[in-house]
Amino acid sequence: MGTRLRRDGHKKSRTWALLFVFVSVFCIIFFAAQGRFQAPVLAKSVSTVAAPFEKAISWVGSQLRYVTSNIWEIATVHEQNKMLRNEVDQLRIQNLQASEYAAENARLRALLGYKQAAMQFDLVAARVIGREADSWSHMIVIDRGTADGVKENMAVVTEKGLVGHVIEAGPNYAKVQLILDPRSSVGTLVQRAESRVVGIVEGDPANPTMPRMINVPKNADIEEGDIIVTSGFGGMYPKGLVVGIVSSLENDEAGLLKIALLEPAVDFQKLEDVAVIVNSREAPPEPLKTPVQTPGTETDPAAEKKAQEAQAAGGEEAVQQDAQVQAGESD
Amino acid sequence: MKAFLKWALFVLLLYVLQASLLPLIAFHGASADFLLLFAVSFGFIRGMRLGVLAGFLAGLLQDLLSGTFLGMNTLTKMLAGFIAGALSDHVFKEQMFLPVVSSVIAAVANYFLLAVLMLLLGYRFNLLENAEYILLPLIVYQLVFSYPVHKLTRQVNEWVAQEGK
Repeated sequence: MGTRLRRDGHKKSRTWALLFVFVSVFCIIFFAAQGRFQAPVLAKSVSTVAAPFEKAISWVGSQLRYVTSNIWEIATVHEQNKMLRNEVDQLRIQNLQASEYAAENARLRALLGYKQAAMQFDLVAARVIGREADSWSHMIVIDRGTADGVKENMAVVTEKGLVGHVIEAGPNYAKVQLILDPRSSVGTLVQRAESRVVGIVEGDPANPTMPRMINVPKNADIEEGDIIVTSGFGGMYPKGLVVGIVSSLENDEAGLLKIALLEPAVDFQKLEDVAVIVNSREAPPEPLKTPVQTPGTETDPAAEKKAQEAQAAGGEEAVQQDAQVQAGESD
Repeated sequence: MKAFLKWALFVLLLYVLQASLLPLIAFHGASADFLLLFAVSFGFIRGMRLGVLAGFLAGLLQDLLSGTFLGMNTLTKMLAGFIAGALSDHVFKEQMFLPVVSSVIAAVANYFLLAVLMLLLGYRFNLLENAEYILLPLIVYQLVFSYPVHKLTRQVNEWVAQEGK
């Protein structure tokens, strides 16, 4: 009888203890979500230990992907070559137009005395070694940390656009919150010169592949296909980084605002290499140059040869001029 | 202590595989949750008390490593270990369909619990639309990996038990 009572007592106290733990963890979730509770030391220690393992396994994964993609590329190389040649032709035409616009832009800037606004970034290249499989939050782990100059709140990009920002940096790793995460918010604007509508891009828990731009007035000039870039407001993300393209527009529940669903510029499904912006500053204007064309793929080989000759002659003249200047200085 | 370290290493290995290798085959960012499968298998094999503890520690490790909402995985994995452990006396553990069926039930329960927590945290979304993106691929992945993870957990359990003798 006594043993049975003791066993019942143990069971009861165990149930209470379990209930206490459940309630405590439940409360921790809410405190942590509001930023009132964190475990930075524990998280950093565990992540520092796990990072080398993640690096090793992700290396194996990247090798596997490399082999399979190579086999696929070999199988489709002929068709791909045709498509690339077409694309090169189209891009050359676009490039000529862009050079014209750039020259015009430089003339107009000089005319107005406008301050050069283009930014130059110091980047640290990093490899993605881990990714959270949880679909409610979107985080990646990269193989660069404080030892490489990576710090919290630095923007992370690829050549296509914005990826997210660093939320935790350890000595050999950093955790990056993607722009798809519902906790992320990025100050943005529409790139189109006539529009320049500002809004905030945040992750959408309903559709984890497409972030949304909120706080857009209902009568704002924003259309499907508009490119959305960072506004630079808030200071975390430098201005002008591409975030995505407006895929569709819908009305806010309250009816006063619009929501734009974005197709992200970065393909988050194939995120392997990223770059952390460790420093950004205003860039000096670059001189305009004719792009070098790949031998065998020139749009107009004769024109290309002439351009090369002219460049070479220009170079010789410049060397002669330099020599004359030096001679003059020594006199 | 030695047994605990072995289990810790196994859980870490599962997490690293989940975080580093599974994204290669993920569908819209969703892939299998190895630690959920582990919590359920461990609960079935070792009972409720240890199932809760294993779920708690595995979930905490996932929360700390991934940088997600702190406590979310701790709570859901602890519950998974608790329920699997509570049911462990009523099921025939050798059957193959046990881990397969329980993986689907655990994935659905885990999804709805997380969805409720997200709603309580103030995030608004359409549950049905979201389930289509997240829950369906998750169920498929859990089905595929449930048996291998259960088998591995059982093997580690036997290995730890043999070493302890």
